[in-house]
Amino acid sequence: MENSLPSKIIDRTSSSYKIKKFLRKNLGGWLIMLPGLALFTFFVWKPLFQNIILSFSHTMGMKAVGFAGFENYKSVFQDVFFIDALVNTFKYLFWSIIIGFFIPIILGILLSEVVHFRGFFRLGIYFPSIVSGMAVAIMWSYLFDPNPGAVLNQLLARLGFKYSGFLSNPKLTIPLIILTMTWRGAGATALIYLSSLQNISNSQYEAARIDGANWFNRLRFVTFPHLMPTIKLLFILQVISVFQVFYEPMVMTGGGPNGASVSLLLLSYNYYQQMELSKSAAVAVILSLIIIVLTVIYLRLSNPNKREAKNV
Amino acid sequence: MFKALQSKTNGIFNYSDYKKPVYKIVYCIILFFLFVAALTAITPPLWLFISSFKEASELTSVPYRLFPKVFDIGKIVSVWKMLNFGKYFLNSIIVVLGAVVCSIVFNGLLAYSFAILKPRGYKFFYGLVLLSYMIPAFSSIVPLFLSIVDLKLQNTFIPLWLMFGANAFYLMMMKNYFESLPKSIFEAAAMDKCGAFKTFFLIVLPLSKPIIGVVAIFTMTAAWSDFLLPYLVLQDDNMMTVIVKIYNLKDTMGSMQGFGPDKLLMVLTISIIPQILIFLIFQKRITASAYAGAVKE
Repeated sequence: MENSLPSKIIDRTSSSYKIKKFLRKNLGGWLIMLPGLALFTFFVWKPLFQNIILSFSHTMGMKAVGFAGFENYKSVFQDVFFIDALVNTFKYLFWSIIIGFFIPIILGILLSEVVHFRGFFRLGIYFPSIVSGMAVAIMWSYLFDPNPGAVLNQLLARLGFKYSGFLSNPKLTIPLIILTMTWRGAGATALIYLSSLQNISNSQYEAARIDGANWFNRLRFVTFPHLMPTIKLLFILQVISVFQVFYEPMVMTGGGPNGASVSLLLLSYNYYQQMELSKSAAVAVILSLIIIVLTVIYLRLSNPNKREAKNV
Repeated sequence: MFKALQSKTNGIFNYSDYKKPVYKIVYCIILFFLFVAALTAITPPLWLFISSFKEASELTSVPYRLFPKVFDIGKIVSVWKMLNFGKYFLNSIIVVLGAVVCSIVFNGLLAYSFAILKPRGYKFFYGLVLLSYMIPAFSSIVPLFLSIVDLKLQNTFIPLWLMFGANAFYLMMMKNYFESLPKSIFEAAAMDKCGAFKTFFLIVLPLSKPIIGVVAIFTMTAAWSDFLLPYLVLQDDNMMTVIVKIYNLKDTMGSMQGFGPDKLLMVLTISIIPQILIFLIFQKRITASAYAGAVKE
């Protein structure tokens, strides 16, 4: 028995031992990462990479053939619809900030202040978020029926207003689309603000009271500073999601009237349907670049302290 | 009514403010605004429900009538039968169930390895995952669709299930949760020579029920509502999900005999009903999960 012992003693400095130890430590982790990474590769990273390649290629049918340089980008920039879509994207952003950004903040604060009917208010306001985006878009396109006999026009008439063309009026198309998006999304966002507000400790308000702060100052010096990180985060998330607006114009207007509501993603999709894959890819790449650049600028602007701290 | 306000100690306004009549009026204004908001949220679906029982000609009538002339509940059944809608419901349910399983298992495994195992090189992949947060998921859907065609997975549910297994948002939520689990559990599991997969399924998942519930609810809603990839992948009518079928109906409505806008509204109503039921059953969990969405920061 004792004679067999030396053979079991392992040379801990040998390279084979080190490799074994290294494998034992990491192999399980790698194996576990494998399925998830495979899926991320197939569904996210590979398509992204292929898309960039595609945007620099000539295409035949569904296949990429040959390098095209910036030709696809050039022809995209010469397309009138692309300029429309680019301008529209910023119009979407403008209206979404005007209509969609402040309502959830106000709702969140009101929800945190109310004592009565709490459950009813929360559920009611959250309710539109559970309905699928497609169903919401179709439903609102019927509510915005420009026919004088349709529901909203009849309501306008009773209130003494003129009939409206709603989505067929180019000036109203984008604000109305943003309105439906806000109708669907505001409740869920308001609940996120509410959950942040519920973390404010009462002593902060008490301290403000003792210092003689009136309600407006309590709102300004206690509530808002606490809410600010959430506001910043949700702002950039909203910008990112507005840039990707797609279902609503596709279903409600088809991008019309006359390109007044076409978005970059819708344009990319239209190119795809016309079998112009490389142009479709080029638009998608441009959109991704815009989003990345805006996000980086925004993060830089909203966290100036971090950089200063590094420099010191 | 104002009695409840006497015990309100937190918030911008508290009991001491509400002793003054001015603030009682302010409180009434708060209540009023919230009622308006809740009504705005609920009214359009109610309108949809009521209008879907109308005849096509009643949708645009002068003077406008809110309610249909006859409230025939049988219309639900007749539209359902006409379109054989059960088929699409079943497809949607299959898609949702598979998506929930994939979402929890695959994102969970990756989150587990990022949060606990941390094998060499994990930081690189973690960085890649974070990067995919920023890039619009839609933007590369065409190449994705082409590789699905290459693998001959068109008109199957497989890509729609697996797609939910690669979601940076769910992954981050689970990673944050796993990091909060006590380390001693994993040390004990390692002592018992419990393999990594075994540890995940037998120890980590059962301990993570709250976050699994949240991810499951998010995935359920997202998978039920998902449109673009299912629309591209499922072209066979027998495989279509409810949402794809609805879009299809809207698109081809003009050329369909006996299918008008009133019936489309009825189909919309039918498609929303299960979502309302799930909402009512899980309401506490769903609103709680909306909070959990905030954890991602």
